[in-house]
Amino acid sequence: MKHFLAVVFGAALVTLVSAAGTDGAISFEYHRYEELRKALVSVWLQCPTITRIYTIGESFEGRELLVLEMSDNPGTHEPGEPEFKYIANMHGNEAVGRELLIYLAQYLCNQYQQGNETIIDLIHNTRIHLMPSMNPDGFEKAASQVKKQHPGEIKDWFVGRSNAQGVDLNRNFPDLDRIIYINEREGGANNHLLQNMKKAVDENTKLAPETKAVIHWIMDIPFVLSANLHGGDVVANYPYDETRTGSTHEYSASPDDVMFKSLARAYSMYNPVMSDPHRAPCRKNDDDSSFKDGITNGGAWYSVPGGMQDFNYLSSNCFEITLELSCDKFPNEETLKSYWEQNRNSLVNYIEQVHRGVKGFVRDLQGNPISNATVSVEGIDHDITTAKDGDYWRLLAPGNYKVAASAPGYLTVIKKVAVPYSPATRVDFELESLMERKEEEREELMDWWKMMSETLNF
Amino acid sequence: MASKHVGLFVLFQLLALNVVSQTSAFPTPTPASADDKTVYNRQLTEERPLQEQIAEADSVKAAVQSAESEQNHDDFTMLKSLAEGPKSKETTEVPAKKRDDQYIPDESDSTKSRRLAEDYDSTKNGMDYGKYQDDPESFRQIDGTPLTADAIVQKIANKIYEEDDRGVFDRIVSKLLKLGLITENQADTLEYKVAEALQDLITKNAKNNEIEDVDQEARGAQDDEDSDTNADTWEPPRRRYEEDEDEEDDEIEDEVDRDAEEDGDNIWDRDAEDGNEVSPEDGLQDLQYFPNFYRLLKSLNSEQDTQERETLITIMKTLIDFVKMMVKYGTITPEEGVSYLENLDAMIAMQTKNKLGKPLLPPEFTGPNEKNLDEDDNTKAEAAKMQKEYENLKDSTKEEQPSAETNRPGKSETYLEAIRKNIEWLKKHNKEEGKDDYDLSKLKDFMDQQVDSYIEKGIIAKDEGDTIKRIYSSL
Repeated sequence: MKHFLAVVFGAALVTLVSAAGTDGAISFEYHRYEELRKALVSVWLQCPTITRIYTIGESFEGRELLVLEMSDNPGTHEPGEPEFKYIANMHGNEAVGRELLIYLAQYLCNQYQQGNETIIDLIHNTRIHLMPSMNPDGFEKAASQVKKQHPGEIKDWFVGRSNAQGVDLNRNFPDLDRIIYINEREGGANNHLLQNMKKAVDENTKLAPETKAVIHWIMDIPFVLSANLHGGDVVANYPYDETRTGSTHEYSASPDDVMFKSLARAYSMYNPVMSDPHRAPCRKNDDDSSFKDGITNGGAWYSVPGGMQDFNYLSSNCFEITLELSCDKFPNEETLKSYWEQNRNSLVNYIEQVHRGVKGFVRDLQGNPISNATVSVEGIDHDITTAKDGDYWRLLAPGNYKVAASAPGYLTVIKKVAVPYSPATRVDFELESLMERKEEEREELMDWWKMMSETLNF
Repeated sequence: MASKHVGLFVLFQLLALNVVSQTSAFPTPTPASADDKTVYNRQLTEERPLQEQIAEADSVKAAVQSAESEQNHDDFTMLKSLAEGPKSKETTEVPAKKRDDQYIPDESDSTKSRRLAEDYDSTKNGMDYGKYQDDPESFRQIDGTPLTADAIVQKIANKIYEEDDRGVFDRIVSKLLKLGLITENQADTLEYKVAEALQDLITKNAKNNEIEDVDQEARGAQDDEDSDTNADTWEPPRRRYEEDEDEEDDEIEDEVDRDAEEDGDNIWDRDAEDGNEVSPEDGLQDLQYFPNFYRLLKSLNSEQDTQERETLITIMKTLIDFVKMMVKYGTITPEEGVSYLENLDAMIAMQTKNKLGKPLLPPEFTGPNEKNLDEDDNTKAEAAKMQKEYENLKDSTKEEQPSAETNRPGKSETYLEAIRKNIEWLKKHNKEEGKDDYDLSKLKDFMDQQVDSYIEKGIIAKDEGDTIKRIYSSL
């Protein structure tokens, strides 16, 4: 029943999005680095009031890791406004995601100017970051070699996948899965596992420049929801990627397994290829037994240590899933338009998922924001923290929850919340500091003493 | 039914032949404006041979003319002898003035020549033209051949018919009376005779001259009188004639445009009646049928806009003339001509609203307009005019393209396109929100800042940044 409702809701959304959209202004072709840069600059020039381009650093060969940000107030985190990101092409030869993010940028800008209310609302209420390529060096390699060969040949499976140093960026992140599995057994933190993050990252020689840049980025901006675009298969993959026991295939659920399934489905359901139950596997011998409704648990599919997806979840508040968008890693340019058609609605709908669960502010009794306060949900062994303005966003599937806000030196407050599918429910907390409580207690005591002494006349 | 189809088919063939053989209809400009002529001709390559045809026709007509005038000379000698001396001066006054007035526009309005209008306007044939030309001389024939009274009557009737101006008669008769050449009685008889002749002329022309009717109807959109002329008799013409007479008497120092109107086309005379009160805007009466264009012109009230106004008026008139010619020679049906002219005005309104946001022309309007004079595709002419206006509004964004193109063509075009979309959206957005026009200078400053910071961060190359800054500073 819930599923049916979700489908109906989704269908309405699709109609809305597709009715409002025309993709006439997008030209569907591959963008090399210069073209990518120009494309982003063009979007910025067309929509300068809602976009901003920035770079989080340089690739090994010196190419900028460009991000196009879209919001009603680009460059600023507005308190209470959730942050979202898409990252693509971390494997340089997996090209579809890179292109889709460029088209998405153009699409969002065009739709905004054409008065598409869904898009306008989305941009006004979210801060969207689009990084079309985390591995521009790899892409250049892959793009130049694909030109010389016929696409689909086995060679392009690997050339350009890793960065210029030969590092597979999706195995390069600090492996926090191992730590969480230990903590599950022996007790310990269930979130923000990379202690002394900055130091650890800067001194780690094994990290590629692209990886470092992304880690800094994740630390800087309080991302709430994210997706990481790949190619080579068609499925929406969610945490955990690394199996608990170390076996090659094992369903490895995270504490937010329910929510992750919901998020992955929110993407796959609008992608007709991804959600097709009768879709043949990409390659004859592929094992896609773990795929259901176009989604799969990472570990159940195959174990991936050091991946970016799990790193997000375990080092920050950000929930990330991995989207595999094409059987062919670097398909023919003529197919790009159809990939856009398949993914456009999913891409937009997935961004909308950031407006789910509970959100609000944690403040002290004087109204001052309390940053880095912990927001925990009873029954889910994964806490999140408040950002600099005391704002938080806790993604939750529909249900009844007890949500607690706590901070050192403050008394914890627990609230009961009934959470619908969407939009997010606003729950604010005013925390009393321990000092204040002590003061109160002292005053109470004094009053009582006074009364006693007056009564008893001493 | 079949026969009807066959009939239509035959008719169509005839028309087609007609069209093929008469697709000229394009006025050849006077030698005084050779430049325009070459430009004209360039546009009308397929019509050039036809112009030669027309030239031939001219000479034929001229021959006929002279033959006729020779005859008329005889008839008029009597009158001429009577009208010698001071008479001749006076009698030539009005017509001479008319002729002079009519000639002046030829020089200044290079897109039209009086000769042409006279020659190819089927409501005036060469003969009449010759007669008209002879009018001043009718009382003192050059050739010395006398004119019969009948011929005089005929001449006057023709003149009235082609001029659609009863005033001609009144003028002539009053002169004759004044000079004592005829008595009142004779004047009455003359009037009666002329009326008869005119009536005959009308009925004859109604039957015989298909094209003439068509032509009348084409202008009939603007001039119901002409179509009425065939049906009615005196009344409408009389009314107009009197008013026209007044006008013409007043127009000693007419503006060029006004005279151009009087000169060629009856239709404009009719409009003159309506536009009597708009004497400062002489020459615009006819354009009243183009309310939007008229408004456009009205908005150009300042002194520096006079040039633009005049150019605009000239263009408009050229277009209208061209349409009339096309109809006259059967290139298009009168309905098409009418609907084209109607659409023209509607398009002006739309283009003005869409492209300019307000019906004002930018100062650089003169330039593109002069080019537009030469376009033979009139729908394109207006659209191109508006397009150029819009592009002039954007000024050097258009100029930017060539200079930027030397660097990196594709990119600057994309950037230009993107900036243009932004400006368009800003305009539209601010309108919708009821704000004043977006603050361009603020936007410019903001963009400059951003561009600089992007260059610094390596997001934009230096030359790209310069291009963008240039584009914005030129807005």
